[in-house]
Amino acid sequence: MIADRTGATTLLASVASFSYHGDAGPALLGVEMAAAPGTLTAVLGGSGSGKSTLGRLLGAWVLGGRDGTLAGSLQLDVAGVPASSRPLAFTGATDDPRIDPGAWARHVGYVPQDAASMLSAVRETVEEELAFSLENRGVPRAEMVRTVAGIARRTGLGGLLHRDPATLSGGELRRLAVGCAVVDGPGVLVLDEPLESLDQAGVRTVMELVHAELALGTAIVVLSQYADALTRAAERWLVLKDGEVTAAGPPGQILQGHALAESGVVITSPEPDAEPEPEPAAESGLPMPAPPAALPLPVVEARAGTAAALELANVAFGFGRLPGSVPSEDSMLLQDVNLQVMPGEVLAVTGPNGAGKSTLLRLLNGLHRPLRGDVRVAGESIAAVPTGLVARRLGLLFQHSHDQLFERTALREVLFGLDRLFAVGAPERARAALAAVGLEASENAHPHELPASGQRLLALATVLARDPSVLALDEPTVALDAHGLERLTAAVSAAAGRGAAVVLVTHDIGFAKAHAHRLLRLDGGRLLPH
Amino acid sequence: MFPRLNPLTTLTAAVAVLVMTTAAASWAVSLTVAVGAVLLSAAGGTLRRVLVASAAIIVPFWLSLLVIHGLFFPEGRTVLASWGPARVTAEGLSFALEMGLRTAAFVLVLMVFSFSVRVPELVAALTARRVPPQVGYVLASTLLLAPLVAARLEKVRQAQESRGLVVGRGIGSRAAAIRLQMVPLVLGLVHDAGIRAQALDARGFRSAGPRTSYTEARDSAAQAAFRLVAILLALAAVGWRIVESLSAGSLAALSLSGGGPG
Repeated sequence: MIADRTGATTLLASVASFSYHGDAGPALLGVEMAAAPGTLTAVLGGSGSGKSTLGRLLGAWVLGGRDGTLAGSLQLDVAGVPASSRPLAFTGATDDPRIDPGAWARHVGYVPQDAASMLSAVRETVEEELAFSLENRGVPRAEMVRTVAGIARRTGLGGLLHRDPATLSGGELRRLAVGCAVVDGPGVLVLDEPLESLDQAGVRTVMELVHAELALGTAIVVLSQYADALTRAAERWLVLKDGEVTAAGPPGQILQGHALAESGVVITSPEPDAEPEPEPAAESGLPMPAPPAALPLPVVEARAGTAAALELANVAFGFGRLPGSVPSEDSMLLQDVNLQVMPGEVLAVTGPNGAGKSTLLRLLNGLHRPLRGDVRVAGESIAAVPTGLVARRLGLLFQHSHDQLFERTALREVLFGLDRLFAVGAPERARAALAAVGLEASENAHPHELPASGQRLLALATVLARDPSVLALDEPTVALDAHGLERLTAAVSAAAGRGAAVVLVTHDIGFAKAHAHRLLRLDGGRLLPH
Repeated sequence: MFPRLNPLTTLTAAVAVLVMTTAAASWAVSLTVAVGAVLLSAAGGTLRRVLVASAAIIVPFWLSLLVIHGLFFPEGRTVLASWGPARVTAEGLSFALEMGLRTAAFVLVLMVFSFSVRVPELVAALTARRVPPQVGYVLASTLLLAPLVAARLEKVRQAQESRGLVVGRGIGSRAAAIRLQMVPLVLGLVHDAGIRAQALDARGFRSAGPRTSYTEARDSAAQAAFRLVAILLALAAVGWRIVESLSAGSLAALSLSGGGPG
């Protein structure tokens, strides 16, 4: 019963209401859903719509009683297990049934939005991580080895079994998290934003995995803020807004209505490869067309004559095999990078996961130092200038908001270091930056309590409040819903409008094409014209 | 060369060596053990990491020893120099040297062990001996805690520097930076731990039944025999030390260097 499931499993959830302890209002209200064997159900909704809460309830990562007050019922119907089909009724009282998350997970696998939080953190290889829940159940070793091999085949992790999970790329990590969730052979799989921050190859492998699981008869629930290739494959959509269902039915029908837009769902291309190879003709429609590029890349013509806001000259960088050691020539991550970004210019850099996009941005404010070449911000070399001083001119949005936010409230977060820049009016500036990203009502919220989209926007506000002359944005679109994307777009054009240079790295080619003056591709350690 | 050994064998060897070093209470033995540990780590390819991590602990300790015992050693008779209440005595210096070497030997041996052991193998070996999995997890997460905390601290520092924090070279500047980083560090670790607990629950970590282990802890009769001999030698060393202290009639020496027989 390990790799192959006991039988078809159906999960029925009826959440009359669920509120977290300490919250004033319910996170979910009147949500009914069913996950049937071999079907894909998508729960769509913008930031704060309650879809992640629903996913955690379905996967027993959040429990009625322990984490909040649940009224409603959960019913797990496992073929061949007659006792399983009794609904568990919750009233919010102390005698409510108690779910054992470990036992529940054997039937309902849940993969959180942040795949890394699925890991035990005490296993040093992918195979040991996969075997963790089998060990906890006392599965004999020979059977474990067979199961792990089977799961590795199913999830495409075969070549990675001996790797340290901490060294995996985003797509690989997502597959490992799914592997950990399916290793017990659950009949239901709940995936929260499974395609987030993956490049094309990562998207492809996760989509293949989802379709393979469907073919095996798994009931799959995808929670997402994107009407994209994956969720469009669903038989049924459930649209949430503010914790309530605003639409339910087949995708074709819901795409006609307004529920998606109102909730903040991002509607993207129905093609699975959302990153078509660019054709030369496609670039002619850009607001400020880039001339045919030869390295070193030419400046935007409209601004010729002014000094570059940001300049990279022959920059090379790589990580040594050991911390502190110098990498060999052939292990360089970046080579001969030459770049000029003019005031008011928006430059987008794309490239596959692991190409060095984030590293490139970290070179701009001195978090990494080039091994060769020079980085100049506003005409001055930043060599030997501490990052804290470079930060007066250059604001960096980190790839993961989790790494950028460290304060106790949203307002304190934006205020950090602001008084060093602006002797007077720092609190007003901080509040204005929060308002610019739509978080004016959340200034006392703990950053970790904001939904993923809110965390991203808060991180953006910390950059905007400092009025930098260069904005370096690492995957700014990730985790943003449609409303968040509007705020981001407005912030980027406002910054460019007042003469700031914007460098953004993204895998979202659509966004890059729509909002950047110039596109470059980072591949094989070099910046190439797109 | 270590990975082929059962982690309990290396653990037993490390503990036995430490017990014997303590019992011997001789700077020559401590020096030999310290040099041996350095040679082992060089052979195992962990020399650099072992030295860096050990130095971080040993150097401040040595400095404090030098100040406390080198300058203020009440039992010191042979005065080499004195400034007011501070007296440099030969006895004080030799005590500081002996304690310093013994500490160095301790830290080096433990570092060689922790950098050579594969944590999952150690947990597997403990599981095979019916040690509760919670104990194994706590042990594993403790051994893996330092890199986790270091990584988290690095992230907080990068986030703060990217927003204008300048950490200067002065002690005051560094202390101020540490004060700014501690609260975010602890809150971040607690937040991570909360999420981790949900994942561990879902992955059956709390289940009460018997466990198995995917990682095979290699073991052999020879290793078992070695462990037994190592334990007996350590016990013998402790016994010898107690007998010697008692016969010398010096309970002070016992409490100072013999250690508890447990």
